[in-house]
Amino acid sequence: MTKNITRRLAIVAIAALLAACASGPKHSEIQSSIPAMKAGEGRLYVYRESSMMGAAIQPSVLVNGKVAGQSKPGGFFFVDLPPGSVEVSTSTEVEKKLSLTLDAGQTRYVRTVIGFGLLVGRVYPELVDNAAGAKAVAETSYIGAPLAKP
Amino acid sequence: MGRTRQALMLCLAAMLASGCASEVKRAPAELSAAQPEQGRRYATTLAVEARPESGYPRSIRAGTEFVVVGRVAQGLVLKPTQTVLTIEGAHMHEAYAVHRDGQLVGFYLPVERAYAALPLPASMPLQEKNAP
Repeated sequence: MTKNITRRLAIVAIAALLAACASGPKHSEIQSSIPAMKAGEGRLYVYRESSMMGAAIQPSVLVNGKVAGQSKPGGFFFVDLPPGSVEVSTSTEVEKKLSLTLDAGQTRYVRTVIGFGLLVGRVYPELVDNAAGAKAVAETSYIGAPLAKP
Repeated sequence: MGRTRQALMLCLAAMLASGCASEVKRAPAELSAAQPEQGRRYATTLAVEARPESGYPRSIRAGTEFVVVGRVAQGLVLKPTQTVLTIEGAHMHEAYAVHRDGQLVGFYLPVERAYAALPLPASMPLQEKNAP
């Protein structure tokens, strides 16, 4: 009896965790729909690698103080911005900010990662180099605003 | 009972302290052009291990390429060309290496326009790279 309940609870937990992962189209499926950067702007990709650890913790990601998307396991979105200083922040148990520069025509990558907190896990934004960022984004699903069809 | 409470309080304090990293200590710094080095490219010939005061160590791999983007009072400011450099405390900041006399002496934070010194400079031998 107890074994049965435990098994059912485990199934429910796994289903909940799977549901917590990003379910949008893969990067390869929407690559052609991603618009070219406008002249005089830079692009910031924000992503989170697929992992069951802390999957239920999905805070909003703020870029320059405005909600730009969500940190979801296996998901990515992008924001086009004027060149200059950029602040990326997430707020879970504590607020963690990342400051970086963005030049016109430049693409940069920010990974959100799960860390250990006092009561719940924390999500941190981290700046990553373009080679690692592009590779990771290629393996994630798009969770940003709907894109116009090419 | 008193001891148990004391132990619990100590545990709680330690946990809270580990969750509240200190802010990166920095001072305003003015970046000026570095003549004649501006735009020159250098690569580290050895790996560099830096231990900022905020407690998050940083390592720079041997062969990492930098370009000179200017100078601050503390040294030459080198921006990585293929990778990124950050320093971390309560928050994370993009950083450029500040180099003087063969050593990494601190970091220049381009957003904050500030300099964060290393408590102990780290050896950072560089070799100039010829244009590709």
